[in-house]
Amino acid sequence: MLMPIKLKGVMQAPVSPMKDDFSFDGEGFAKMVDFHVRHGAPAIAWPHHKAESLNLTIAERKLGAEIAVKTVAKRVPVSIFVGTLSEEDSLDLARHAQKVGADAILTISPYCRRPAQEEIFDSIVRIATTVELPVLTYNSPWRNGEGVEFTGELTRRLIDRLPNYIGMKDASFHSQKYLEISRVALDMRPGFAIIMGVEHLLASYPLGACGSFSSSGAIAPNLCNKFFAALEAHDWETARECQFKISELWRMFKEQYPSSLKGAMIMMGRPVGPTRSPLPTASKERLEFLRKRLEELDILQTEPHGW
Amino acid sequence: MATFQPGLVHAPVTPFRRDQSVDYATYAKVIEFHLRNGAEALALPMPEGEDMSLRDGELRELLEFAVKQVKGRVPVLAHVSDAGTSLAVERAVHAEKTGAAAILSHPPYFWHPRPAMVVEHLARIAAAVKLPFYVCSPPVESPGTELTSDMVMQLIERVPNLAGVVDASLDFVFMEEVISGGRRLRPGFQLLAGRDYLVSAAALGGNGAIVPLAGIAPKLVRRVYDLCRQQKFVDARGMQEDIAHLHHLVREAGASGLKDGLAGIKCAMAVMGRECGVPRPPVRPLGEVERGRFEEAVQSLAFLKTEPHGW
Repeated sequence: MLMPIKLKGVMQAPVSPMKDDFSFDGEGFAKMVDFHVRHGAPAIAWPHHKAESLNLTIAERKLGAEIAVKTVAKRVPVSIFVGTLSEEDSLDLARHAQKVGADAILTISPYCRRPAQEEIFDSIVRIATTVELPVLTYNSPWRNGEGVEFTGELTRRLIDRLPNYIGMKDASFHSQKYLEISRVALDMRPGFAIIMGVEHLLASYPLGACGSFSSSGAIAPNLCNKFFAALEAHDWETARECQFKISELWRMFKEQYPSSLKGAMIMMGRPVGPTRSPLPTASKERLEFLRKRLEELDILQTEPHGW
Repeated sequence: MATFQPGLVHAPVTPFRRDQSVDYATYAKVIEFHLRNGAEALALPMPEGEDMSLRDGELRELLEFAVKQVKGRVPVLAHVSDAGTSLAVERAVHAEKTGAAAILSHPPYFWHPRPAMVVEHLARIAAAVKLPFYVCSPPVESPGTELTSDMVMQLIERVPNLAGVVDASLDFVFMEEVISGGRRLRPGFQLLAGRDYLVSAAALGGNGAIVPLAGIAPKLVRRVYDLCRQQKFVDARGMQEDIAHLHHLVREAGASGLKDGLAGIKCAMAVMGRECGVPRPPVRPLGEVERGRFEEAVQSLAFLKTEPHGW
């Protein structure tokens, strides 16, 4: 039956290291996962967009899931993202995640179709009932009504329908949309985990968010951990400093995500290789710019180098 | 000038008679209600005050009336958004002469100019007055151009009397960028929370709030505001959820494709014993069945039991 898991803090979502020929670097990935766990990650989540999930083959995603579970070796929970373009692939990845011993799956109904609320409901129910694992969903509303949006009402129906529905990755980053979900979900299922898509935690933690899936943790794990400790201590002054610094990092990385992030990781002594097309790989000039910014932000001097 | 801080700002509705004229007798009661129930300033006419549905002459008359009614008890912030730059400029000049304490404007209605022209539009409005100027993000996504944090930074460089931003985007990223980036360029740069969501903006270091639902639940709004001032953001969560619940009911009521909440807000005012009529056309009032359902939903909100009823 359902194993209870605790999701809290700035949880790390490793990138997918690639070899120079753009093939998936399994050994590098194991090092990446281990780096995060050793630097205080309270959970590992893979493969998010930062891990180029949609540019990996289904076989690579399964291999990575196995490596992640094996490398973490129960030190912290591991969630596997099973969102794809085709629901059949998502079902397959969900079953596989359960088989190899993942602790949870994160899912979304297939993207790019502007699905109706009813279609999202059906899709999530199909995926969530194919496994016994705890299930998280991914709220990804885009502007102008595109994307896949979990409204408060949809969240209510899913909690009602699915005993293994334990949380939401929320990428709305929007007071109204956030509260539409949180006020319903936290009331119906008090331990419901609302996890911010990246670390916009200062705005959401007071309203019941339990943590984030990290964008900047690959570069600045110490900053992430300091940030969450400050939130837990209600030390808002320190939390603001950390939040604004992390926002600066996010501004650097969000364009052509995760190309710049992978570039910056090279500057931190963790070469994770190129980014798969159609996304660009950070150029030499971009790398130099990133190095300079990391130095200005005091990241280069205060965060771990190498593996 | 840099020290002007509007604090907890109430945004009154604009009552209309059946013949569509502004109902000034009721408007006076609305203003007095806000002043008795915790308003540290008034902002008018905000989108919830149906600014877009008022004619130029009416907008001026409404402000003159409000300033006279308030008699200096609290600052009155004048909202002067329009489609054309010169229209907004002239109304800003009029507002300053009339005795407004600050000018608010968002990017132009209807047009979608390039960012540089949006900055130009806002900078000209600000330059026409000496008052503190606040740039607002548009109240809903569609009726004009988005305000980006880059535009705000350019405005800080150009506009000496730019005091801050009124945030209606509710966007965490925008708030983070405006507060951290804005204060690097101009220490003390303000961010006022718009649209009833106070906690996130305050946690990020925001300064005050302009709250449309203050006409319905002024005590709740005041309690959340005070907790935020004391940095007790976690304690404010339950009450912010209550405000969000009320906000949800108001916005979902009515036929508006923008979910502007205008029909809902006036109906909720009536439920609280403060009849303000219905919105101006083309906004449709709630039909009989929907009105009944809405009234029941509002009446069942336990947290409204302790709010003032009647004027």
